[in-house]
Amino acid sequence: MNHRIAIWVIFSFGLIIASARAETIEEKAAVCTACHGEKGVPVDKSIPNIFGQNEGYIYIELRDMKKGARKNDLMAPVVENLSKEDMFALAAYFSAKPWTDLQQPRAGAADVRHFESMATSAGCVGCHQAGYIGAGTQPHIASLGYDYLVKTMLDFRSGARANNSWMKDLLNTYSEDDIKQMARVLAGM
Amino acid sequence: MRKSWSNWFALAGAASLAALSMAAYATEEIKGGAAAKAGAMAPAPTNVTQDLLNKAASDGANFLQTNGNYAQTRFHPARQINTGNVRGLHTAWIFQTDILDTLETSPIVVNGVMYVTTAFDHVYALNAKTGEQIWEYKHKMGPITTYCCGPNNRGVAVYGDKVYLATLDANLVALDAKTGAMKWSKLVADPEKGYSETMAPTAVKGMILLGTNGGEYGIRGFVKAFDAETGDLKWTFDTIPEDSKGVWATKDATGRDMHRDIAAEKGAYAKNGDPYKTLGGGVWQNPAVDLANNRIYFVVGNPSPDLDGAIRPGDNLYTDSMVSLDLNTGKYVCHFQYIAHDVWDLDAVSPTVLTKAAGKDGKMTDVVLHAGKTGHIYVHDAKDCSLIRFSEAMIPQENMWTLPTKDGARMLPGANGGVEWSPIATNPSMGLAFALNLHQPMTYHVDSSPYPDGKLWLGGAFKVIPTEEQWGQFVAVDYNTGKIRWKVKTPEPMIGGALATAGGLVFAGEANGQFKAYDARDGAILWSFSAGAGVNAPPSTYMVDGKQFVVVGAGGNTQIDAKRGNSIIAFSLN
Repeated sequence: MNHRIAIWVIFSFGLIIASARAETIEEKAAVCTACHGEKGVPVDKSIPNIFGQNEGYIYIELRDMKKGARKNDLMAPVVENLSKEDMFALAAYFSAKPWTDLQQPRAGAADVRHFESMATSAGCVGCHQAGYIGAGTQPHIASLGYDYLVKTMLDFRSGARANNSWMKDLLNTYSEDDIKQMARVLAGM
Repeated sequence: MRKSWSNWFALAGAASLAALSMAAYATEEIKGGAAAKAGAMAPAPTNVTQDLLNKAASDGANFLQTNGNYAQTRFHPARQINTGNVRGLHTAWIFQTDILDTLETSPIVVNGVMYVTTAFDHVYALNAKTGEQIWEYKHKMGPITTYCCGPNNRGVAVYGDKVYLATLDANLVALDAKTGAMKWSKLVADPEKGYSETMAPTAVKGMILLGTNGGEYGIRGFVKAFDAETGDLKWTFDTIPEDSKGVWATKDATGRDMHRDIAAEKGAYAKNGDPYKTLGGGVWQNPAVDLANNRIYFVVGNPSPDLDGAIRPGDNLYTDSMVSLDLNTGKYVCHFQYIAHDVWDLDAVSPTVLTKAAGKDGKMTDVVLHAGKTGHIYVHDAKDCSLIRFSEAMIPQENMWTLPTKDGARMLPGANGGVEWSPIATNPSMGLAFALNLHQPMTYHVDSSPYPDGKLWLGGAFKVIPTEEQWGQFVAVDYNTGKIRWKVKTPEPMIGGALATAGGLVFAGEANGQFKAYDARDGAILWSFSAGAGVNAPPSTYMVDGKQFVVVGAGGNTQIDAKRGNSIIAFSLN
């Protein structure tokens, strides 16, 4: 069984349980933690940690996935029946959890130097804030999983993730190697 | 910039700073309200009357409005600290806020009580003599905040028995000046659509005036007037009229060709209609108020999306313009557009100043000054908004107006200007305006995308060219002639603001933590202080018990990534 199928099985199981009697916020959240991790460590490296993520950002992503502006096969059935209130409640619930430390290694000095140059040029902290922890609708990206960071940036660049045209335009000015370098530094923060 | 980055990592480490900042952000989740501290000698707040505000320009004791007075001259009559003794200026006190982040506040001082704000919308009332805290208000931030350039706040307005704050989640909040307790809060606009507030409100004639951010998010900009007592909306002026096409201008305010494809634009306009609903036009800074003629003057920011003009044909009125309204009704009086159909985000942000200068006929007349992101200071006739003159370019301009391309076209100034939001100061007797400049070479990239429903919508990207030197500059411009009187280069781009005094001084801070006093006549640096974090906020001055103080925030800046801090520092002689 490959990873993707495994995730699907875990997730479907969670969805069935939850849809039967999804009343409390904890029960609603159980659908999410089936993949994003009960303790905040996702079950697969392609999945983001959402514990401690910024409330506004979680809400906006759920909203965009429901609208179809952000396409994700796994998330589509989850968000389909969520009301705006549900989305805000889930966002508040997960943002109140402590940020997950994935114990990723710090990037090397050469990576950091190159990263600083790229980040200065692109003005990354203009949105992601000092320390890359974001705020409001801007995501916390420091110490997110490396694989998720690389995938997300490449998806922005290719247009596969189409709900932020600015990230597409900005990342299109960088190579895949640049993006991996950025991800190494951010993941290791 | 690189220096500040290496400091960043070396001094604190990304992780520990992230933790600190997280703690700072989390505090606004704590219930809003005041924690009043009854300082034994804490001065009592003053009832701020309209009469007191009217006389702000000649009030040597107070600093009553964001830019000093209704004319926004940032010229203060106090002269105890002057060119002869400024060398003896030293710290009187330092107040450290709870928020270690970008600091753009203009301290307001009323009879010994100072009001300052921080990133994420905290407000502090301080004893202006000692720096002791009187109360703190922590805004309980809503989950949706949408802002492009840092969690900034530029200060409060004071009026009657209240203190007014506009917030990142697009609320106007009235606080009890005595305790900091919230009296009321009104939603100004929907933050999910890209509206947010970072400017200080303006209080006048029973109204609180407020613009909006959001020109990077496809908003429809406005200036609104609220009842100061109740918060009820009195009037709204949409900065984007329903017919925004204008006159299909091909040249900018200085006569340079903007390389518009008018035929293509007219075709797009005929096909798609007027783009006014999502055309941007934020108002970032306070209006100048002319009480005698009952008018206000302010500037309107860039069109949305910033770099992609193809989907917003026309002049995009009133973006990139100076606009005048009737104060009582908010009705349009006149405007002047600097750049029609801007595709570089070289818009109009720095606050307007009302003063007198040589008119078109050489006779002294009422004028409006504006320092543009283009690097010019513009002088308008206050009667009809028409342009009298524009200054020499304060910073290098190259390849203007090269159109953005997919791979990026280099043009100077970079998209931060010129002159950013930083208020200028003036010295009316010298006829000089003092401006903070940035030199940041950038490339401008265009890529068309549809309206993203309140998300950041630039229609491309602008990027600092990492191999080119960046610097700043402090400049004095003779607004009667448009000639540069003097200029002093600084090692880093300047954002913050200036203050001029009757002591013949001008004060301004820098991203490297330097805070300096210049001789207004020739730009000689007479005094400097190292604050340890970026001084990117406008200074104020005031007197308490016969002693003059100068005060400034040192908290760094998100937009130019200047080293963060959390200090409000007051200086005095002896």
